[in-house]
Amino acid sequence: MTPFLNRRHFLTQATTGLSSIALASLLDQQRLLADAAPIRPNIDPAKPFAARDTHHPAAAKNVLVIFCAGACSQIDTFDYKPELIKRHGQPMPGAESLVTFQGEQGMLTKSPWEFKPRGESGKMISELVPQLAELADDMCFIHSLTGKTNTHGPGENFMSTGYTLDGFPSMGAWATWALGTENENLPAYVAIADPRGTPQSSVNNWGPGFLPAAFQGTEFSALKPLDNLGIPPGVSAKTDRATRSFLERMNQRHLEQFPGDSELAARISSYQLAARMQLSVPEVTDLSSEPQSILREYGADDSQNTLKAQFAKNCILARRLIENGVRFVQLFNGAYQTGGEGVSNWDGHKSLQQQYSKHGPVLDQPCAALLRDMKRRGLLKDTLVVWMTEFGRMPTFQKGASGRDHNPDGFTAWMMGAGVKAPFTYGATDEFGYKAAENISTVYDFHATILHLLGLNHKQLTYYHNGFERRLTDVHGHVIQEILA
Amino acid sequence: MNIKRNISNQRLPVLLFAVVLACEVQAVDFKQDIEPIFHAHCIDCHGSDEQESQFRLDRLATMLSGGNSGEPAVVPGKPDESFLLKLIRHEEPGKEMPPGESLSKGEIELIEQWIAGGAKIPESYGPAKTEVDLSHWAFQPVKRSQASGIDEFVRNTLTANGLKQSPAAERRVLIRRLYLVMLGIPPTPHQVEAFVTDESEGAWQTLLERVLASSHYGERWATYWLDLVRFGETHGFEMNRERPTAWQYRDWVIQSFNDDKPYNEFVRQQIAGDTLGAEVATGFLVAGPVDQVKGSDPKLRQAQRMNELDDMINTTGTAFLGLTTGCARCHNHKFDPISQRDYYSMQAVFAGVQHGDRSLPPSPETKQQIATLDAEIAELTGRLKKFIAEDESKLRPSVNARQNEEVFEKREVRFIRFTIQKTTGGDGCIDELEVYAEGSNVALASSGAKATSSGDFVHPKHKLMHINDGRHGNDRSWIVDSAKGGWVQIELAAPAIIDRVVWGRDRDGQFADRLPIEYRIESALEAGKWELLVSSADREVYSGSKPSEPEYQFAKFPAEEAVQGEKWLMRLQAARDEKKELEKSTLVYAGTFSQPGPTHRLYRGEPDAKREQVAPNAIEVFTSLNLSSDAPERDRRLSLANWVASTDNPLTARVIVNRLWQFHFGIGIVDTPSDFGLNGTPPSHPELLDWMASELMEHDWSLKHVHRLILNSDTWRQSNRPNADAVRVDATSRLLWRFPPRRLEAEAIRDSVLAVTGVLDLQNAGGPGFSPFEVEMENVRHYHAKKTFGPADWRRMIYMTKVRQEREQVFGAFDCPDASMVVPKRSRSTTPLQALNLLNSEFVMQQADLFAKRLEKESDTRPQQITRAWQLCFQRAPTDEELADSEAFIQQEGIQQFTRAMLNANEFVFIP
Repeated sequence: MTPFLNRRHFLTQATTGLSSIALASLLDQQRLLADAAPIRPNIDPAKPFAARDTHHPAAAKNVLVIFCAGACSQIDTFDYKPELIKRHGQPMPGAESLVTFQGEQGMLTKSPWEFKPRGESGKMISELVPQLAELADDMCFIHSLTGKTNTHGPGENFMSTGYTLDGFPSMGAWATWALGTENENLPAYVAIADPRGTPQSSVNNWGPGFLPAAFQGTEFSALKPLDNLGIPPGVSAKTDRATRSFLERMNQRHLEQFPGDSELAARISSYQLAARMQLSVPEVTDLSSEPQSILREYGADDSQNTLKAQFAKNCILARRLIENGVRFVQLFNGAYQTGGEGVSNWDGHKSLQQQYSKHGPVLDQPCAALLRDMKRRGLLKDTLVVWMTEFGRMPTFQKGASGRDHNPDGFTAWMMGAGVKAPFTYGATDEFGYKAAENISTVYDFHATILHLLGLNHKQLTYYHNGFERRLTDVHGHVIQEILA
Repeated sequence: MNIKRNISNQRLPVLLFAVVLACEVQAVDFKQDIEPIFHAHCIDCHGSDEQESQFRLDRLATMLSGGNSGEPAVVPGKPDESFLLKLIRHEEPGKEMPPGESLSKGEIELIEQWIAGGAKIPESYGPAKTEVDLSHWAFQPVKRSQASGIDEFVRNTLTANGLKQSPAAERRVLIRRLYLVMLGIPPTPHQVEAFVTDESEGAWQTLLERVLASSHYGERWATYWLDLVRFGETHGFEMNRERPTAWQYRDWVIQSFNDDKPYNEFVRQQIAGDTLGAEVATGFLVAGPVDQVKGSDPKLRQAQRMNELDDMINTTGTAFLGLTTGCARCHNHKFDPISQRDYYSMQAVFAGVQHGDRSLPPSPETKQQIATLDAEIAELTGRLKKFIAEDESKLRPSVNARQNEEVFEKREVRFIRFTIQKTTGGDGCIDELEVYAEGSNVALASSGAKATSSGDFVHPKHKLMHINDGRHGNDRSWIVDSAKGGWVQIELAAPAIIDRVVWGRDRDGQFADRLPIEYRIESALEAGKWELLVSSADREVYSGSKPSEPEYQFAKFPAEEAVQGEKWLMRLQAARDEKKELEKSTLVYAGTFSQPGPTHRLYRGEPDAKREQVAPNAIEVFTSLNLSSDAPERDRRLSLANWVASTDNPLTARVIVNRLWQFHFGIGIVDTPSDFGLNGTPPSHPELLDWMASELMEHDWSLKHVHRLILNSDTWRQSNRPNADAVRVDATSRLLWRFPPRRLEAEAIRDSVLAVTGVLDLQNAGGPGFSPFEVEMENVRHYHAKKTFGPADWRRMIYMTKVRQEREQVFGAFDCPDASMVVPKRSRSTTPLQALNLLNSEFVMQQADLFAKRLEKESDTRPQQITRAWQLCFQRAPTDEELADSEAFIQQEGIQQFTRAMLNANEFVFIP
């Protein structure tokens, strides 16, 4: 045997099917990876979603991302700035010539919502989200995130994929590629879009990028079923079963000519898995078994605010998915279909008070109920909840408008549940909430930390594509040790 | 052979070892004062054992050139420009050196004095110039070894591994394989029978030539190329709007493959087709995504532009050269000899390329049609004159914010000047000034015309270069610097006989302010000798945004004449519409070109960290394009194109034959197909790769020649059956002891479904694509999967409009890329969602139904129908067992369920 084959055997990059891309041992020879040799998940083509080993013991098994699309203002929610209240109506020092996304700045403007101390920790949170605020003692805040773009699409790309450009794998795709899932009868990775539609960067937020398509987020919600899941109209369940079994006999006879061919075998098992999904997905999306008390707590029965009721159903679905072992769930609040610029998302440029007065109640009760419910059921022991948005907003109002422009220089995210300290606050923005000033963190750090909590080393979780060893964190990122429990 | 080339360090002062007059600087002795500091604090990580950041302090050459950062560490005589000092003074956040400690103030001063004194150093530190090691296999010239052909190379490697080739595959398998690999659709039962029963000696060659001559070959192989160049028909990013004229590049690729255009020409045209008579080909440069949302923040806007250029640099590098040029954006390439300076030299090559539609010179045919229409319009306008209400008959309509056409007697001119005398308010604005000679706009900067003005209003959206950049709209307009007026002037590349000037304020129709309403247009053949061409004097007074058409009054004429007049008017309007349509059809998304400003190297790739200016160039260790910093834009791309496509380039031919091999066998000889650099994997059959590369070049870069070599080999024609012993040694069949079976790609599965059900529309090839989506035409586009399908959707998938980010609802799940990124090799995954899509989607269910109908129409009995289905789908007859099972199944569940299962079968979606 040639050394060539030895190397291949040793360094085959496992993916599903037969496609395996060799990674040269040259990498090691050249010491690129001296301290971070890639760890390739060992994927059985016949069971691409089987649970796989972590790099180190994991604090969290699952992740629930709550993504507020449109750039939810830290100034009006979680980042309390007494100095901003004091200097309300005055110019922001140094902002005279500052040009942000839409243009020039007006005056410093305090939030229209009052901040109050919450829980035992006394964390100051605004009245915009009163029910979420009551969970302050369970939250771990990062107030010092910094991004690289002030445009929505690239901002969402950055938060969900680690790159501002299109085409990179989403965080959930990385996680499921590495770890598979606990319940193979459900998709490993589910994206629940807002009842109003998709976020600005749409499917990029849950795309597979260059990872195998198997690890793409599957999109469905309490309102919108999974595409092509149901048996076609006019076909009975019995006939459908008979057809699948006829197909399997055909495929088995074909396989006899190719004993041991994993790609052919994988395709046969994918049909079996699909059949199981046809049973388990409708079961998990069927909320009729939820008691009235739960519907009420989430606000799913709110006949006054149908949007809230719809989002509440998505929240219940998110819990059911996590409960059933789905590895990665992304729950979106805010969409672009029914109007940009804050009409149906958090992009409050023009009339922030009016717009957020609509969005706050839609988010608050359902989301708070979801978190309380997960806590009650013990799901937060294994699940990391991450609340995020594409970037922050300015402490000033825009010149000639009553809303805030984009601000990637200092914004807030919070985590809850498995592996993180709570109550805890990490990092801070300056006196106005404009720029990160203390423990400045990057989105790369944020991603490195999430992967770390899942038991993955962000430097070793790499995939070779078009000449590059790619990672979620590019060539950056440090785990934020301070927030780890 | 070990090739080494000297590269000169351009920053290196010649006077390095010259005597430096250091009257005020106390002489510092390197050996005594400096070396001990380096040895105590630096050399562990930057010496002979380790070279962190590829930087070492025990060599003069690397001290001068610096490490990965691209910054010269030591600039003799210039402490302030020496990166080393910045780092030890802790002036670079995150790069404080030495890590975790500080040199003493005295030590830093000593180093500073040493540099100020000329950085004198003993000869033992080696020469100032680096010798770049180019011994890496892919950087050496292609070397042809003697061999009878592909099989010899493959068998040698097999033998060395104790393996041997499999026997030849049977003919039914071969023809299925050939059609699927080369054309992406299965052969018809008739074609199969003809081949299987052809007893002539040249049966295979005859078949092969027929397949290579098929226009479906280009349709199949263009898919691979379009993946490789991230071709999409929307812009991507959040708005993801359409690029309705981009399909022409897709057709150009298909046509190029079908014509067997020499590959070197294919390459050159994509980089510089505008100078090579292949305008559409430059669609390559701008095939990638572009963010249409530009913020006001100048730094972030600049970063967006850098990303656009990076996409061009990186795609050119990976697609043609198999080099990851994009890696050198922020620092020197970590593995390959590509410096950051090289990267920015390549950026200078593309710096004049902008995303957008380019208006193509009309074809002679179109030109003729436009001229005919012009004549007709003039004729009708003349005839209609008598119907114009009298008091207005002498005046032309008032100016119009969108577009104004000024027609005059033909005359020869070199200069055209547009003088703004009065506007609707503010400084006058013009988005484009076009000057026509024989139907072509000769004022374009890309045709060599130069624009000057009396003064420009300064704004990123409004620039002098916009006046003749071929792009319309407010964002691409020019504004004069004074509300009192001023002029803009075009100097043509050569004198031309012109008869028309067209100008507008905003052809997108968004803006009507700053509109020049009093103006004159003059021309000159010799500089300064102006003659008036036209002016606003004979126009009606501007009264608002609506252009005033002359009012025709037919009523006062006799009925017959009035009817005639009305007919003429209708025809006039129709002729104008036809003309507009003809002019529109010459737009193509192939980028626009304008002379760029200076390009600088950017420290850490950050737009606000400009370093030295660079001239347009390629990779220094391989070549020099010998261009000056202000070389004309098109020369830059043409020079680069010529180097990429030259037979001396060690990479280009190797990279493309490897790609062909990969698409035949599923895996390349180099299985990192877009990285032939030091970080790529070594070839499994290096001599074979070189042999094919030299075959390609010696046969006028004919890709079909390489296909023939491959298709005629025993290696390609062997059986695909597994063999337990061989699997143990080489499970992935990389050494080709069999033909490696694999699943078809999304496009070939969809096309195969349509082919066997009998509805595939092969006639409707080329032209605008069909969409798999209902598009919600919001500011930000939303794409909803179509739910019903008809014949318009049954063209080949290559003609499906390629929407970025959104994967087609059924076949997208089969690893079909979304065109956000360059894809040299698709992943091949197997998922339950694929199964659900192929089993349950409306699309496939409709096809299953059509398939059932076809079978029942074409054959009478169940066994015949089953046999026919097998032949259509698998190119063979069913076994007795298969026939019996099928018959029983159809009896129970009906023939639609049978066809549904057939379209889902493994055998159907695999290349045998």
